[in-house]
Amino acid sequence: MTNNNGLARFRGRALKVLSLAAVPAFLLGQGPAPQNGRAVATKVVNDDVNKTYPLSDFDTRPYDKHDFNGIWARNPAAQFNQPPCPECRDNSRPSYGYFGDVPPMTPEGQKRFEANHPTKGYVAGSKQALEHADIHVGYRRAVQSALSNDPEERCEPLGLTRLVTFSGGNPPMQIVQTPEIIIERFEWFWDNREIWTDGRSLPKVEDYLPRFNGYSAGHWEGDTLVVTTVGFDDRAWVDAYGYPISEKAVLEERYSRPTRNRLRLDMTLTDPVNYTRPWHSSTKVWGLIPKEAASVAGWSGIVEDRCVPQDNSQFRSFEPEPPSAKK
Amino acid sequence: MVSGALWAHHGQGLSFDTAHMWTTWATVEEFDYINPHPAIKFSRTDKNGNVEHWGAEVANNPSRLARVGWTKSRSMAALAPGTRVKLYLATSLAGGHLAYVELIESEKGELICSERENPIKAEDLDGVPNGYQPKPEDAKPEQK
Repeated sequence: MTNNNGLARFRGRALKVLSLAAVPAFLLGQGPAPQNGRAVATKVVNDDVNKTYPLSDFDTRPYDKHDFNGIWARNPAAQFNQPPCPECRDNSRPSYGYFGDVPPMTPEGQKRFEANHPTKGYVAGSKQALEHADIHVGYRRAVQSALSNDPEERCEPLGLTRLVTFSGGNPPMQIVQTPEIIIERFEWFWDNREIWTDGRSLPKVEDYLPRFNGYSAGHWEGDTLVVTTVGFDDRAWVDAYGYPISEKAVLEERYSRPTRNRLRLDMTLTDPVNYTRPWHSSTKVWGLIPKEAASVAGWSGIVEDRCVPQDNSQFRSFEPEPPSAKK
Repeated sequence: MVSGALWAHHGQGLSFDTAHMWTTWATVEEFDYINPHPAIKFSRTDKNGNVEHWGAEVANNPSRLARVGWTKSRSMAALAPGTRVKLYLATSLAGGHLAYVELIESEKGELICSERENPIKAEDLDGVPNGYQPKPEDAKPEQK
């Protein structure tokens, strides 16, 4: 079987990357000699934009630990030709959730949790679900789309924690940073959130409108950006698995850039309405994607991966009805 | 993408019988490059000469397709109405003529409008009336 032209072009690029990555750069005359016994500064040519750029993992230029600007993905090898980043992937199945040790829920939290019916995770009652009885029930109760009330299925806003935990899975996240505000732009759903770093205090949310991505203020503690967010809209889910979040929830995010090519995040969700103790997430790690590697038709950057209700309605017309709805 | 049974992206693994993938030759009636997944309407003719009309969602979403070169214009051209294609698909667990298309192959044997580079294992049911129709035992646990 022959391949298609698009993939052939893609593979050609990938082969170019691989072949160059496999050969010490100094032998190719494209970069400096190995440092610490390792080839560095491997470069590739992106056919779309006709520029050379360094693979992120071989880019050893100095960087500012307080500068998060860039495109970040948790699966840099997929679609972006970057070296694999094992630590970027959730060390669990299913993947791309908030994870961590799910706290016991309050009666109200349990009620809300049970009212949410996700499509993601192991199928309820399936062999896989039974084999993973040790993981929280939230990850093994998936139902088909027609039986689900997942906001994503209706193009409704995902909410901050879900955007962050899913972002960079395959659709990446872009961070745009100025001295007084940091914007996170999420490819999936084409949404964004703002982190104000101008010294402001958080709003009195009981007098204010809740919103899906809340209100975020950040400050630096050494090389860690500490972000506090309040004022959530309780129609969102914490992640794809239907964990509830209330308007009283407070989210703390701790971001750092331990190396030039990695962004790290730990989160703590304190939501006394739904959970009996603070909920610490698993650590999320992103890899840096050179913008040239995120290029479509000569235009580099994240893609508008918007959920358009009109398109979604058409898409859902191809979704089968559950057997219970059949006449 | 992880298999539907493990990672039910938009519920494909739950809504469609992905455990019984099959193939058929078909004629494109309409192809829409939409989010979260493209949609295709196609016809197929069984060995008795009867024409069936099917609708299906397609595996990869547009942003991913575009990144591997399957932009909207290229995809729409490759799947223009009247085009003959070989489809790798799973029937709706509810039965009928709704499906999930995992792969599309052109008459030249090229995989088109897909991230995948290799075909998948599937049963050839070209010409078999209604293709594969799920049996009661194929239903997922929560549907029984």
